[in-house]
Amino acid sequence: MANSNLPRRIIKETQRLLSEPAPGISASPSEDNMRYFNVMILGPAQSPYEGGVFKLELFLPEEYPMAAPKVRFLTKIYHPNIDKLGRICLDILKDKWSPALQIRTVLLSIQALLSAPNPDDPLSENIAKHWKTNEAEAVETAKEWTRLYASGA
Amino acid sequence: MEPKPMDDIDGTLQNPGLSAPPITVKRTVTSTGARITTQIKEDGSEDSEEVKPVKSLVGDEVEDKVVVSENVCSDCLAASVEGVKSSRTRFEEFIKANKKIVSEEECLKIESKEEPQVNRVKEEPDVGFDDKKKPEDSASNRPLVPEKSVEAKVPSVPETSVKNMPYQEWLQFRGYAKSSGEGTNSHEKKVKPEGLETARLANESKANVRVREEPRLFAENKVNVKEESVRSSFWSKPQKVKKEKVEEQRVSAGLVEDGDFPEDPDWFLVGRTLVTALSTTKGRKLVDNEIVHFTFPSPNSRYNMQWIVRFSTKRSGEIGRLPMEWAKCVVPLVCSNKVKVLGRCVAAPANLSLMQEIMLYVSFYIHHSIFSDWDKSSWRLDGCRSIDSTVYPLLTLFNLLKNKPFQKADFTPAELDSRKRLLNLEGDSEEAASMLPIVKRRKGCQQFPEQNKDEQTITESSLNKLMGAAEVYNLEEMEPPNTLLCDLRPYQKQALYWMSKLEQGIDVEKAAETLHPCWSAYRICDGRASSIYVNVFSGEATTKFPTATQMARGGILADAMGLGKTVMTIALILARRGRGCPDNEELDTETVDNAQITKKRKIDSHINISSKAKGGTLIVCPMALLGQWKDELETHSEPESISIFVHYGGDRTNNPKVIAEHDVVLTTYGVLTAAYKSDAEDSIFHKVSWYRVVLDEAHTIKCWKTLGAQAACALSSCCRWCLTGTPLQNNLEDLYSLLCFLHVEPWCNWAWWNKLIQKPYENGDPRAMKLIKAILRPLMLRRTKETKDKEGRPILVLPPTDIQIIECEQSEAEHDFYDALFRKSKVQFDQFVAQGKVLHNFANILELLLRLRQCCNHPFLVMSRADSQKYTDLNKLAKRFLETNTDSGTNQTVPTRAYIEEVVEGIRRGENMECPICMEFADDPVLTPCAHRMCRECLLSSWRTPTSGLCPICRQLLKKTELITCPTENQFRVDVENNWKESSKVSKLLDCLEQICESGSGEKSIVFSQWTSFLDLLEIPLKRRGVGFLRFDGKLVQKQRERVLKEFSETKDKMVLLMSLKAGGVGLNLTAASHVFLMDPWWNPAVEEQAIMRIHRIGQKRTVRVRRFIVRDTVEERMQQVQARKQRMIAGALTEEEVRMARIEELKMLFR
Repeated sequence: MANSNLPRRIIKETQRLLSEPAPGISASPSEDNMRYFNVMILGPAQSPYEGGVFKLELFLPEEYPMAAPKVRFLTKIYHPNIDKLGRICLDILKDKWSPALQIRTVLLSIQALLSAPNPDDPLSENIAKHWKTNEAEAVETAKEWTRLYASGA
Repeated sequence: MEPKPMDDIDGTLQNPGLSAPPITVKRTVTSTGARITTQIKEDGSEDSEEVKPVKSLVGDEVEDKVVVSENVCSDCLAASVEGVKSSRTRFEEFIKANKKIVSEEECLKIESKEEPQVNRVKEEPDVGFDDKKKPEDSASNRPLVPEKSVEAKVPSVPETSVKNMPYQEWLQFRGYAKSSGEGTNSHEKKVKPEGLETARLANESKANVRVREEPRLFAENKVNVKEESVRSSFWSKPQKVKKEKVEEQRVSAGLVEDGDFPEDPDWFLVGRTLVTALSTTKGRKLVDNEIVHFTFPSPNSRYNMQWIVRFSTKRSGEIGRLPMEWAKCVVPLVCSNKVKVLGRCVAAPANLSLMQEIMLYVSFYIHHSIFSDWDKSSWRLDGCRSIDSTVYPLLTLFNLLKNKPFQKADFTPAELDSRKRLLNLEGDSEEAASMLPIVKRRKGCQQFPEQNKDEQTITESSLNKLMGAAEVYNLEEMEPPNTLLCDLRPYQKQALYWMSKLEQGIDVEKAAETLHPCWSAYRICDGRASSIYVNVFSGEATTKFPTATQMARGGILADAMGLGKTVMTIALILARRGRGCPDNEELDTETVDNAQITKKRKIDSHINISSKAKGGTLIVCPMALLGQWKDELETHSEPESISIFVHYGGDRTNNPKVIAEHDVVLTTYGVLTAAYKSDAEDSIFHKVSWYRVVLDEAHTIKCWKTLGAQAACALSSCCRWCLTGTPLQNNLEDLYSLLCFLHVEPWCNWAWWNKLIQKPYENGDPRAMKLIKAILRPLMLRRTKETKDKEGRPILVLPPTDIQIIECEQSEAEHDFYDALFRKSKVQFDQFVAQGKVLHNFANILELLLRLRQCCNHPFLVMSRADSQKYTDLNKLAKRFLETNTDSGTNQTVPTRAYIEEVVEGIRRGENMECPICMEFADDPVLTPCAHRMCRECLLSSWRTPTSGLCPICRQLLKKTELITCPTENQFRVDVENNWKESSKVSKLLDCLEQICESGSGEKSIVFSQWTSFLDLLEIPLKRRGVGFLRFDGKLVQKQRERVLKEFSETKDKMVLLMSLKAGGVGLNLTAASHVFLMDPWWNPAVEEQAIMRIHRIGQKRTVRVRRFIVRDTVEERMQQVQARKQRMIAGALTEEEVRMARIEELKMLFR
C-alpha cells in the first residue's frame, strides 16, 4: 500500500520543477509513472557540449529522498564521467547523497559536470585517458559527438 | 494496387466454376482455369508428388474432368520432354482421342474464351520455336478475331509449346481443337447463347485481350480497381502486336530465364500461390513463365522502405513490387533467413506500363534446419517486432497461402476479438461497470495526493465484486495428510481439494497427446517436413508437438486476509510432494506410440531438463514474512516430515543441488531478484527445476516489467501458485503480471492482454470485465469471511468482534485550545474558498486538518516541544551556538555568526521553515549544531544509526544528543515530560487499559495511532503507571520487528503494544491480542479495517473488542461522515467532476 502513494515531497518538487524550471534544464514526470522523469539538459556554454540537447531519464526510487535518484543519459555523450550506457559518475548520486538534495540540485550538478569533466575520477577509462593525454582532441571528439547525437533532437 | 480480397483467391482456387451458370462463370472459368492449370503444370514439372495435394484444392465437381486433365497433363509433360514436334503430334492425337470427352457445355465456355489464344500466341515465342512460323500465326490470327472465326485459329494451337501451356489453357486449346473438328455448325450454335457477350466482344473487336482481362474482372467483382483505364491500356495494345512480337522474340531469345526451380534438399516447400503484384516500370520487360527475383529491404531500412519487396528479371532489371499484404509477412520471414521465396511471372501485359497488375506464381520454402535443430524449443520467424503487435508473419503466410491448420487451436484471437465465443457468464455487467470509474478517477485525481493513495487502492468490496467472491463454492473437501499437525476447516479442505486438482491438471498421459489449446498444427507441401505448430496468440512456432501438459498448473489462491492461506499451502505441500517437472519424466518412460514428433520432444525435453537439479517447493515471500513461514511450516508439519531450507542472508550457497535437496526452500523476492539480476537464467533458482513455486503476497510482482516479476516468471516449475489477498491492487495490469507468472496462455502475452482486456477495460467496455472473470474463474479461488458454505453458514466462524465508538468529551482547557486552533484554521480555509483555490491549496488544507486532528489526540502534538527550558530565550540559544562552536575547535565547519543570527532571528519572528527533507512545514523541528533546521523525524530517519549521522545539508557529523529542539515564540511551548497532562482521549484509553488489566483475564491490547509522535506521548503515562508495553513502528528493522512480535505473543508482563497504523503492512499475525484501540480515525476506513484484520483472524480465540476513539464536536466526528461518503464514492457511483465537487464539499463539511 505504501508503494502506491507518492510522497508529498515528490509532488512538491515536481510542481516546482514545472513552475520554475532551472535554466537549461527541463524535467517532466512521465504520465504513467510519477516517479519517472524525462529530462533534457542543454549543453552548458563554453563547454564542448554547447549547443547540444541531452536527454536523460531520472527515476525516484521507493526510498527517495532517503536514497538518491537514479539518473542516466539517454543521449550519447563523450564525457570521462559518463559511460556508454549513459551512467553518470557523480558522488552525490552515490555515497554522497543527502536527503536535502533534490531533483533540481541533482540536475544542476549534472549540468555542472558537463562544464567541468573530471578525468581523474573516470567512469569511462578510455575517454578519461583520451582526455588526459590529449585534451584538445578529446574536446573535439566531444564536440563532434554533440553535433552528431545531441543536436536537434 | 489494392490487394485482392482473400475471398476472391479463395473462390478461384476452390471453385473453378465449371458448374456455375454459363455467362458469369465463363470469366471465372478462364481466370481460375488459368490459375489452376498453371499450378498443376508447375507442380508437375517441379515436383510431381505435389500434383495431388494441389489438385485436391480444386473442388470435387471438377475432379472428374481433372482426371482427364491429369492424363493430358502428363502427356503434356512427356511432350515437353520429347520436344516440340513430337509433342505436337501427340497432342493432336490426344485431341482426337478426347474429342468426345469434352462436353458440349465445356466447349461453349471454352469457345467463348478462345480469344486469349491470340495473346497466347504472342507470348509463347520465348518457348523457343521457329521464328518463321510466328508471324504466320499471328497473321492468321489477327484478322480472324473480328470475324469470330474460331476454327481458323486451331491450326496454330499445336504449334505452341505444350511445355509452357498450363492446364486450363490447354483445355481451351483442346476446346478449339474440338470445335474445329466439329466444324462451323457447332460454332454457330454456340454463338447464340453467347449473344450479348459475343456482340460486345465483336464491337470491341479486341477479344484477344480477354484473357488478360479476366483475372482482373474477376477481382473487380469486389475490388473496384480503375478498370477502365487498365482496360484501355490493353485495348490499345493489339494494334501493335505483330511488330512487338517479332521484336520481342529477338530481344528475348536466349535471355529469358524461365527454367524450373531446382529442388533443393535444404529447403522445404511450404506452398505456392498466385500473387498479384504491381509493375513499377514500363516497357516490354516480362514474358510469361519468366523467373523473377525478389529483392528484400535491408533490415535497417527506414520506416517507409521496410515493406517494399521489389522483383526483377535477369535481363530487364526491376519490374515491380509485391503488394503490401504479402510484403509485410514475407519481409520478416525472409529476414529470419529461414524462409526463401521464388517466383515466376504467369501473366503480365506484354508491354508494361506503370502500376499494372502482374500475376506472379510464388513458391515459399522453409529451411530444413527448423525441423532438425533441437536446441531451440520454439522460434518466431519475425526478428524484432513490437511487443504490441498481434500480427505474426508465419501465421499470415499460412493464411495467405490458404494453408488451413489440420488441427485448429481451441480458441483463436479472432473468436475472442469478435466475442463470438460464449464466455458463459452470468449477466453481471452492472457490477463490472461499477468498477470502471475507479480507473477514470485515478487519472483525474493526481492533484490530490493525500487522498489519492487511498482511492488507488481497490477496496475489498469492489474486489469482491470483481472476483465474484460472494459466490458459494461447492467444492469437494480433501482430507489433509497426517503429517499436517493442525486441523483444517472445511473451507480449507476445499481449497486443498481445489489446489490438488489444479496441480494434477489434465491427466498427464492424455495431456501429452492433446494439442495445447493455443496452438494450431499446420502441414506444409513438402512431404519431407514434419508438421509445424504455431501459437495463434504469440506467433511462436515449433516443430515439436506442443502438448497440453505445458498449460498452466496452479492458480491464484486469493482468499481474503485471515482465512489461512499459509496453512492451506502447507497442507498442499505436504499432500502433494514432488520433485522437478514430472511431466517430462513421465513422458520419457511412457510409451507414446503416436508420432515421432512426440518422441523428438521427449529427447529434447530430456536434454533440457535432466541437466537441472530437481527441486521441491520454492516459496518466495516478502522479507517480513520469512520468519512466519518458517515457523508455521515447522509447527504445522510433523517433525522430520519435510526438510525446510531458508535461502536468505549473508552466507548463501550457490549450489543449486544443495537447495534442490530440500522439500521446501524459502526465500525472499529480493534474493530471487538479485540472483536473477546477476545470473539471469543461470541463477541458483533458475538452475533448479522446481516441482512447485509459491509466491506469497504475489501482488509484490504486480509490475510485470520489473526484474522481480521477470525473475519469478522465468523460474522453471511444474506448478505455480500465487497467494494474495489482493490480486488487484491498483490496476488491472497487476493481474496481468500474475497471469504471466502462472503462464496462462494466451493472457501472458501482453499484446493480447492489452488488446482484449486492458484497453477495452480502460475504455469502459464491460466485456473486458466479463472476459477477466471468465479467465479467472477456473484459476482463482477467493473466499472472504462472509462467504457461505453449502448450508449457507459462513465458512469461517471467528469469535465475534465487538466494535464500539468511545466518544470523548474534551476538558474545558482542551476545548478552548482546540477552538482557537479551529477558528484560526477556518479563517484560512474560508480564504481559500473565497479565492476559489481550495483544490490548489489542498496540501495546505490537509496541513490545517492534520493539526486539528492531532489536537484531538493531545494538544501537545501541535505544540512545540521543549526538551528543556534552557534555550527558550533565543539570545541564549545564539550564544550557546557561538560558544560551542568556538569551544569545539574541531575541523567541523562552523556556521558564521551572521548565519546564526539570521537563523535565530527567523526563529524569533516565528517563521516556520520548510523541512529540506520532507519539504513540508517542519513538524517538531530540530536545530543542528551547524544551525540547520529540519523535522526531527526526517533527520533521524536519514541516519543509518539511531544515535548519529550526517547533517543532510552540510554533511557534518551530528549526534542525537546534540540536537536542539527548535525553540519557538509559540505560546504553547511545553516540555511534555515535565508538564505532562492527560488529554481526554488519553485518559479514556488509560481507563480502558486499566480495566482490562484489573479483570485479570490476561488479555492483551494493541493501540493504533497514525502518528508515532502520539505513541511517543503515550509512552509517558504508561511508564508512569507502570504499564508494561512494547512498541512496533516503521522504524524497526526486520530483526527487531520479529523480536517485538515474538515477545508480545509470549510475554506476560507487557500487555500493551503501541503500533503505528501503517507499520508492518502485510500479513502480520497479531492474534495474541484481543483488544484493539484505534486512537484516531483515518480517512480511508479500509486502513482501519486492515488493522483490525491483523487481530481478528484465524487463531483468534477470544472476542475481539475494538474501540475507536472519537472526540465529540470536533473534526474527528465529521471525518466519520466523510468516511461514510467515501465508501459510496469508492463504490464508484460518482463521475470525475462529481468527485472533484465532492472533495470540496467534504472539506467544507470538515470546517463546518
